[in-house]
Amino acid sequence: MSIMEHNGAAMIAMAGADCVAIAADTRFGLRQQTVAVDFEKVFRMTDKTYVGFGGLATDVQTLRAALRFRLSTYELKEERVMKPKAFANLLSHVLYEKRFGPYFVEPIVAGLDDDGKPFLCGMDLIGAPVFCGDYVVSGTCTPNLNGMCEALWRPDMTPDELFEAISQCLLASVDRDALSGWGAIVHVITKDGVTSKRLKGRMD
Amino acid sequence: ALASKKKSQQQMSRRYDKVVTTFSPEGRLHQVEYAVEAINQAGACVGIVGKDGVVIAAEKQNVRASNGRLLETTKTSEKIYKVDDHVAVCVAGLSADANVLVEEARLAAARYRYAYGRRVPVEQLVQKVCGLLQLYTQYGGQRPFGVKLVFAGYDDILGTYQLFTTDPSGTYSGYKALCFGQNATNGQSLLRNEYPDEPPALDDCLPLALKVMNKTSDSEIISESTAADDASPHVDLFSLSLKDLGTKDGPKVFSHYLFPQEKIAAIFKEHLAPDAAAAAAAAAA
Repeated sequence: MSIMEHNGAAMIAMAGADCVAIAADTRFGLRQQTVAVDFEKVFRMTDKTYVGFGGLATDVQTLRAALRFRLSTYELKEERVMKPKAFANLLSHVLYEKRFGPYFVEPIVAGLDDDGKPFLCGMDLIGAPVFCGDYVVSGTCTPNLNGMCEALWRPDMTPDELFEAISQCLLASVDRDALSGWGAIVHVITKDGVTSKRLKGRMD
Repeated sequence: ALASKKKSQQQMSRRYDKVVTTFSPEGRLHQVEYAVEAINQAGACVGIVGKDGVVIAAEKQNVRASNGRLLETTKTSEKIYKVDDHVAVCVAGLSADANVLVEEARLAAARYRYAYGRRVPVEQLVQKVCGLLQLYTQYGGQRPFGVKLVFAGYDDILGTYQLFTTDPSGTYSGYKALCFGQNATNGQSLLRNEYPDEPPALDDCLPLALKVMNKTSDSEIISESTAADDASPHVDLFSLSLKDLGTKDGPKVFSHYLFPQEKIAAIFKEHLAPDAAAAAAAAAA
């Protein structure tokens, strides 16, 4: 089994009209054994930038700490908050630094620009970014996630519509994947703030 | 200090002061002492530990220069820097050296946080920085840093606010209240008399800090006129305090607050002006 599938994950980031949402399952497992159902894989980097890591859990946690270090150093020096695009570039750089011994994660970045426009970015484990306007996915059931998002995403959704769409995509996708599911969390980011909700899904 | 020495002693120290890594026959490191001298000429700085926060007041010297009006900087302050959520530092001395040390302090605090998942205890951070300062008094033949740092922070194990200073030799000390720089002795005597037995409330520390600043400056640095003068603020007044105690698992939130001129003027008006007026009346009588 691939190292990327050892722990299991499923995550989506989706753009709406002046809002973004990022959602992930909360399972932590060791191959087929589920160990925890409250494992966080999506993290707040700034008020307007969230990042989710799918892949090896230890690298998820380490990268979170490493990025927090780089981000706080930047903010102390420049006396301002890092923009989503700059953060995505930083993440890409941090991953490529380990090009020949990489972090086994495939991150997705969701943020809001200064002018309130959504910013989405997906990356492979060595930092190759792809910038999308609709949605990005990551995890052990990406075929499911891509299929669901392709079907349910439409442009210019309101925050409530976005929440509904991303939640349905995630819940339907993880049900056909043994390694992801067991709880989910959704964050919807608008210029007024962030709403975080846990989803009630099948706990199997 | 040197001028008052006897000539033979002067010649003696001259022989041993060229290189920092050499002791004099009296067992002194002259280069380090010269570095300390550089700081004694710097703008005055006052630090006061309160029950619910720390206050720092620092005299800004750039504005005193003739082209003060023309200065434009994006930095919030040239004297006081945030090092981590719970620590700030005030610098005095050579700015270039100070920038390097502030950067080192920030990185040291961030590395500790990365390694241990908690905020660095202030004294640990100060010791780390002092380790670096000491290196430049023993190895490499490089000159010491001509900077005095005043660290203000909160220790969450002790649950108290703290104040530490470092000097070019790499020595550090903890204080309840401090004053250094030009005319520091005036400020120190005032603090010795007026700092209470127990740490006072933050709101009481602020006027005391401004009062000490006035004592240490040649002209009244905080007065009715200067306090309200937006165009050329001479003093940075800063406080570090807990904004939100947080929950057992939730984060504490700290406030690093640089007082705007109007607030300084308001503090002066409320606390210092009546005393100044009374003193003037007493002098006239």
